[in-house]
Amino acid sequence: MTGLYVALGTVAVAMVFGLLVRTLGGRARPSTAGAVPDELRAALDPGAAVTLVQLSTEFCGTCKQTRVLLAEIAHGTAGLAHAEVDLTEQPELAKRLAVLRTPTTIAVDASGSELLRVGGIPKREELLTSLRPHLPA
Amino acid sequence: MPTPPDPRPSVDPRGPRFAAWLTSAVLVVVLATGWWPLLAAQAVVFALGGFAGLRYSPYAALYRVFVAPRLKPTDEREDAAPVRFAQSVGFGFAVVGVLGYALGITPLGIVATAFALVAALLNAAFGFCLGCEAYLLINRLSIKQRKVGTAR
Repeated sequence: MTGLYVALGTVAVAMVFGLLVRTLGGRARPSTAGAVPDELRAALDPGAAVTLVQLSTEFCGTCKQTRVLLAEIAHGTAGLAHAEVDLTEQPELAKRLAVLRTPTTIAVDASGSELLRVGGIPKREELLTSLRPHLPA
Repeated sequence: MPTPPDPRPSVDPRGPRFAAWLTSAVLVVVLATGWWPLLAAQAVVFALGGFAGLRYSPYAALYRVFVAPRLKPTDEREDAAPVRFAQSVGFGFAVVGVLGYALGITPLGIVATAFALVAALLNAAFGFCLGCEAYLLINRLSIKQRKVGTAR
């Protein structure tokens, strides 16, 4: 009988978790991490005010969607660039960045400071609104 | 505009979704009954999909034979690598679960099966692949274990 209750409880937990992921995922969170490691700095677009550095792995399910979305946003926004860093073979870098899930997108300004982070597929409008103060008018 | 062919293996995304629903149903039955041979069978399914390849998974075969012919064909493709990785993570949990039940450590069996059920349901109901998203976390934990192993 215990097993049945556990089964029902597990289903409930999974549903709540799924709804949380759906509503909270993709939000831009302001960051206080400061200067990014050199590996990310090397990926920055020298001509852009802000580069969206997308962190991916080979085993990431939604990185492709994120790549398409960010490339499109960067293409249509002045001063914004998109770059991708694959962490599959760089677990040590992932640890330094404190990244546990992919895709994670880190917005970095031209001086190499981290502005904000997004876990999961970013929400387009919210991301653009958060980036606005850092982009050329 | 034709998209360039992607060299990486890919699948119809509805296949893994169907497999996730079947997996969820199987795991609910395992939890409700505690009948561990069924969990062992699910472990074999995970192993086939994760290690041999998705096409060898019995659930994928069911999808191809019974479900796909009733659906509209799709051009949508999903990379196979994340799905396979998630299957191998599922295999790990299923093996721990089988050991728990079979060795009489029932709480271990229940907890491992419940974790696998959460992951399967998230995939089935929300299209959220927990194993894929958490690759870095899983990788970090397994690297720690390797270090522990070599230090001994």
